[in-house]
Amino acid sequence: MQVNIRHKGSITILDIEGKVIGADTLALKSIIDQQIQAANNAAENEEKLNLILNLERVQMMDSSGLGVLVASYTTIRRNDGRVVLLNLGGNVRSLIVMAKLMTIFDCYNTEAEAIGHFL
Amino acid sequence: MGERTEQAITLSLPSSMQHVYLLTAVVTEILKETDFDEDTQERINLAAIEAGTNAIENDDREGPGEQITFQLMLTENELSLSTLEESEALKYKETETAQVIMLSLPSSMQHVYLLDVVVSEVLKEVGFTEETQEQINLAAIEAGTNAIKHGNKEDPRKRATIQFILDDDKLTIVIQDEGEGFTRQEVADPLDPENLLKSSGRGLFLMEACMDAVTYEAKGTIIKMVKYKAELEPQ
Repeated sequence: MQVNIRHKGSITILDIEGKVIGADTLALKSIIDQQIQAANNAAENEEKLNLILNLERVQMMDSSGLGVLVASYTTIRRNDGRVVLLNLGGNVRSLIVMAKLMTIFDCYNTEAEAIGHFL
Repeated sequence: MGERTEQAITLSLPSSMQHVYLLTAVVTEILKETDFDEDTQERINLAAIEAGTNAIENDDREGPGEQITFQLMLTENELSLSTLEESEALKYKETETAQVIMLSLPSSMQHVYLLDVVVSEVLKEVGFTEETQEQINLAAIEAGTNAIKHGNKEDPRKRATIQFILDDDKLTIVIQDEGEGFTRQEVADPLDPENLLKSSGRGLFLMEACMDAVTYEAKGTIIKMVKYKAELEPQ
């Protein structure tokens, strides 16, 4: 798994690539936690974390990976931030549907739409 | 022929040349965890193919129904490959024609990738649709992760063993751990509204959703999952 971190204004975008399984689910959690921590620590910053998780290039995700998405959602919400999912591939989408989490996550098909969520 | 080493990864295959690629796939994946440069990795991989081919050719037991077991051991700057005498891989085989591939791993989350590589390669041999392959792959990863994380509590001295049994009409995956076991009925339903936002507890549910049958034996330390080939799926 590889994760590229981008910033667009006050929005953080994580482009996630590869298989989010096994030990990499912990790595992803740690990357997201760092973003949450950084947003909380930012000096004179009233803005909370606005996060887009771009899953376009995720080949596979297991229940631990899905658990990281859920944990991120709850932690970021608790910190008054927001998180949206971008470009769900077929297998990640079916995983989220099976787990009945489609109504929980805001999902978008283009980056412009996902960014629009925060404006 | 060597003795079993605690930290080693073992791979048991039908003793035929057709399956050497599985050994190559596992060696390639193990090498990714090392500091060897690309050239060295390629050379080690070539040597492993030669050694594997050689072991199968020289195996007296070569032939249908016979197994060969490789032991791979990675230390700081050394990868060793040997063959083991015994094979435990035939216990769940129901028919003479079934082929068995068995992977046995020390319980570390890093090794989930080895299971992923083996299941992906095994699935190429069986005529499932791409969608079904993805489901089986996910179920195998879930079961392996469960065995390593919840069963063996990531204790590297305990092993997670995964068998793939290929029959004409179905694929059976048997996962065994050395933990204390669990009772399926006591595991909470992840679809219950009060559990929806929990960060774990979906593994068994996904395994059952992805496979045609999942059974729990030996207090849940053995999980047996079956997927039937499409034209033979029970109505």
